[in-house]
Amino acid sequence: MYRYDQFDARIVQERVAQFRGQVARRLSGELLEDEFKPLRLQNGVYLQLHAYMLRIAIPYGQLSPVQLRRLAEIARDYDRGFGHFTTRQNIQFNWVALKDIPDVLEKLAEVEMHAIQTSGNCIRNTTTDHFAGAAQDEVLDPRAWCEIIRQWSTFHPEFAFLPRKFKIAVTAAEHDRAAIRVHDVGLHIRRKDGQVGFEVHVGGGQGRTPHIAALVNPFVPEAQILDYLEAIMRVYNRYGRRDNKYKARIKILVSELGEAEYIRQVEEEFAAQRPGEKIDLPASEVARIHAYFAPPALAARPALSKTLEAAKAADPAFARWTRANLHPHKVAGYASVTVSLKPLGVAPGDATDAQMMLVADLGEKYGYGDIRVSHAQNLILPHVALDDLPVVYAALDAAGLGAANESRITDMIVCPGLDYCNLANARSIPVALAVQKVFADPAYEEDIGKLHINVSGCINACGHHHVGHIGILGVDKKGEEFYQILLGGRADEKAALGEIVGPGLKADDVPAAIHRVVEFYRAERTSPAEKFIDTLERLGHARFQEALYAAG
Amino acid sequence: MSSVRPKLKPETPKAVTGWATPTGLSVWLTADGAWTEDAAELAVFTGEEAEARLAAALKQEAVVTDPYFMEVTADGKITGRETLRESMRAEPALSFGGGA
Repeated sequence: MYRYDQFDARIVQERVAQFRGQVARRLSGELLEDEFKPLRLQNGVYLQLHAYMLRIAIPYGQLSPVQLRRLAEIARDYDRGFGHFTTRQNIQFNWVALKDIPDVLEKLAEVEMHAIQTSGNCIRNTTTDHFAGAAQDEVLDPRAWCEIIRQWSTFHPEFAFLPRKFKIAVTAAEHDRAAIRVHDVGLHIRRKDGQVGFEVHVGGGQGRTPHIAALVNPFVPEAQILDYLEAIMRVYNRYGRRDNKYKARIKILVSELGEAEYIRQVEEEFAAQRPGEKIDLPASEVARIHAYFAPPALAARPALSKTLEAAKAADPAFARWTRANLHPHKVAGYASVTVSLKPLGVAPGDATDAQMMLVADLGEKYGYGDIRVSHAQNLILPHVALDDLPVVYAALDAAGLGAANESRITDMIVCPGLDYCNLANARSIPVALAVQKVFADPAYEEDIGKLHINVSGCINACGHHHVGHIGILGVDKKGEEFYQILLGGRADEKAALGEIVGPGLKADDVPAAIHRVVEFYRAERTSPAEKFIDTLERLGHARFQEALYAAG
Repeated sequence: MSSVRPKLKPETPKAVTGWATPTGLSVWLTADGAWTEDAAELAVFTGEEAEARLAAALKQEAVVTDPYFMEVTADGKITGRETLRESMRAEPALSFGGGA
């Protein structure tokens, strides 16, 4: 993985010292909250419903064991013993006292981490495929390009005060696991005639006005991608709406201009760049960054593991876990493991300090020191030998991390909702947990197969309800929580926005309604191999809607 | 705050609430002018006294952040348009840190 050079280390340390001074002045009353707020937000500090929240960047979702242990220590020493992994592959601590945050940032800096650009109207953490470097279907490891984009976008003086926040996602695989089409910019790395380049999508996003991104350029050669991104950003920075925060995202600009006109303006801006302002990223620099992401030296192993097969035969729960939580690795004899942070009864995406310590240990001992955070709020060990899976599972299961549910109905993306969030209108976590209970039988859940439920506590859509196969959106009606149900969303290469199918339901009615929809699917699917989303697209929404609202 | 805070009439019973500046924890103003983390101890104000209490709170930047009025009943129970949000602040539904 990437290691800080002297410049990285210095700017992070200087930022910690600067924020320490700002916090001291805030605590003394010298700085007023109105003055302090933009400063704290630039350092990832929000004031939420119950306390300050600190969002820490995990660049493209990659952590070393040392870094994950440090996060565990922060959870233990400065929070209430847990952290919350987010859909942007970051982590949030919900109970850190302001007076302690400079110390926390200093501890993060010691392990090459920070909270810079995790908030504010700037370019946020670049996210990517959580199986990057291990996936069979990628054309190359996208992390190097994420790192190049990180370096380009960090403290970029021209893009520090954009009209609104800006999110970039990158994939290099045919199957999009990074949800690139619902990002401000989505980049798909491709090879054409032996050359590496980027398929560029712009203007995707969720929130109150969801959009699927427009394909702006089918192939930008790698040497030109930063200049092309600058052209995209400049058009946005110049014409993006600053008069109305609800219309300030780039998706609105692309929509209001029209795709053709937006593309014309980007191409015009790109063509107008003078030679002297071109970034001209040298191939040697690209190669230098790629070298940080060299694949681990995986020992040769047989494709079939007798140890694994014997363990599966002996333990049905383990066998079920291997069917759900393993992803094929590009090297025979290995698999990528999803460590589910969605066990029954726990806030989705939460991990305790002890669990983080355990995953760090497993990553070190069995995972070549490589740990990832997925946008679905799980942890990943991307390189685990098949022979080691039984012992890894046993350790995870003993720590409450043995849920066999990756991409299944209880593996929900869920925002913090009104239990934590100052923006939320309704609670997300309790409704998600209530739905989980209905599908708690592992055999039943396995029979249902892949089905994504995403839950948001308000229209800002942090729980990605627009792109869940089933989306749940909490709303407040005169002090009472109601939940609108959406059907048909998806975040992959066939990205689509779900449709609200009817009036909102009371919280208590949601689990049974979801159950009716799932039972309708099971009755109507052509075979267990037909996924929920495929049956829904084949039959249309109307009949599922009938099932949803049928008398319970 | 996310939502637009409702404007309350002078005679409407109200409490003053905000976040403790050093910790960020929710706090409510008590009758003796202290700040408590227990909403059951909040004081109810109306009229000019309420305005004076809020004005004083707004000057305590090092102690409390973003103080504002919240509607309560005459005996201090949470009510009004922001009932759900204020109830959650006063009495979280999740046992934070121990699962949900």
